[in-house]
Amino acid sequence: MRSKLFLTSLLVLSYLQSEMMGQDLWSILESEPVDTPEYVMSTFKGNRLSIGHSIETRKKGALEVTFMSRYWNTAEESNNNFFADRMCARFGVDYAFSDRFTAGVGYGPPNGIADGYVKYRFLQQGAGGDGSPVGITGLQTATYRSRQLTGVEDRSEFFNRTAFTSQLLIARKINTDFSLQVAPTFVHRSSSSNSLDDHNHFAVGFGGRYKLGNHVSLVSEYYYVANPLESIETFGSFALGVNWDVRYLLLQFTMTNNPIFTEDTFITQTRRNFNFKDGNFFFGFNATYFLQL
Amino acid sequence: MERILLFFLLISSVCFGQNGEQYFARQGQMTFFSYTSVENIKAQNDQVQSVVDTNTGEIIVSILIKAFKFEKSLMEEHFNESYMESDLFPKATFQGNIIDFDPSTLGIQTRIIKGDFTLRGVTKPVDFKVNINNLGDTFSLEGDIEVLVKDYNIKIPALLSPNIANAIQVKFNLEYKPYEK
Repeated sequence: MRSKLFLTSLLVLSYLQSEMMGQDLWSILESEPVDTPEYVMSTFKGNRLSIGHSIETRKKGALEVTFMSRYWNTAEESNNNFFADRMCARFGVDYAFSDRFTAGVGYGPPNGIADGYVKYRFLQQGAGGDGSPVGITGLQTATYRSRQLTGVEDRSEFFNRTAFTSQLLIARKINTDFSLQVAPTFVHRSSSSNSLDDHNHFAVGFGGRYKLGNHVSLVSEYYYVANPLESIETFGSFALGVNWDVRYLLLQFTMTNNPIFTEDTFITQTRRNFNFKDGNFFFGFNATYFLQL
Repeated sequence: MERILLFFLLISSVCFGQNGEQYFARQGQMTFFSYTSVENIKAQNDQVQSVVDTNTGEIIVSILIKAFKFEKSLMEEHFNESYMESDLFPKATFQGNIIDFDPSTLGIQTRIIKGDFTLRGVTKPVDFKVNINNLGDTFSLEGDIEVLVKDYNIKIPALLSPNIANAIQVKFNLEYKPYEK
């Protein structure tokens, strides 16, 4: 009887022992830390969320060629153009000098606005509950208006045709599908078309993306301006769109309420509210092609 | 009665004695290739961890998905975000046994490893051939294995299916040293 008890306890013990062996190996592995700190990747997929910049910077050596366009019908004319009455475009090039630093330049033919920006990733969101809860990127843009406009306060000198936007982009990838971005923004315009208007504006941008699938996401942006223009009625810039990434190509489709690509203008000078009426509705299409240098 | 007690002590001492026979590979290398007529994709991971118990032949491997490095950074991003979903499944793991592993034989021996491979939360039984080079107090393990994309629920859009091979070739080279606590 006793020997039977011993034998069973022996069997149980040896079984436990063999079970423990397997567990032992895993506990050895878990006690060893992995070298690289873990960061969240792909809070957003593009350099731009939809109309504005996202927190993302590209990795070193990445060159992106971007074509941006907006199409709309005017409210006044009804000349039944095939696709749209008006369009404007911007051609741009973005290059990542390091994993944290990206810069870009662009030019929009019909508006004659040349723009450039630098973007630096200050902080990356940590993965798995470690590290920073948010990622932070700083953005500085500068634009130059090459076209002479009549009635503008003073645009005779080079500097008077410039405008600058500073943004602090703060974003969090809340889960795999959902990311949110808040962007405190300061816009400085060297000259205004009306003397009533302040040359400095404070704004806050809000953005989000929701992944509908592994390659398709829904994105939206809204910009609130704390001290809007006095001389004309302006509205918060809004965008609702779909981003679709196909290998090296990122396609961004947007519905928005403004036809402009540069931050200083679309944040402060959006003159129409967002709705689907002719004159208010702008369809945007961006195509970005990625090259690794 | 006393004999049984003695026997039990003997067995347990043998069991505990085995704890000293664990070997650790810290910076194991794993490379995967996807060959298609459209595009060749290659990525390398230098942080594969593995532990082998030379007495039982038991082997475990842990592969950090984010540690795979690609030539093209965008591809690395898409690999993690759209295909492997490494936020949800940060690691691939293997647990199995080296069949007939003889730690006392020096030099190269070819053995079969059988076990379970877990990728993206999907576990499949696998077996593959490895070459073990036993140098006495250290040894290395090298071999290759084919991973079928469809086995592990990896979704590839129809548009991109010509770019990614159905079977991914995975090569590994792990160097083990005695584990010290």
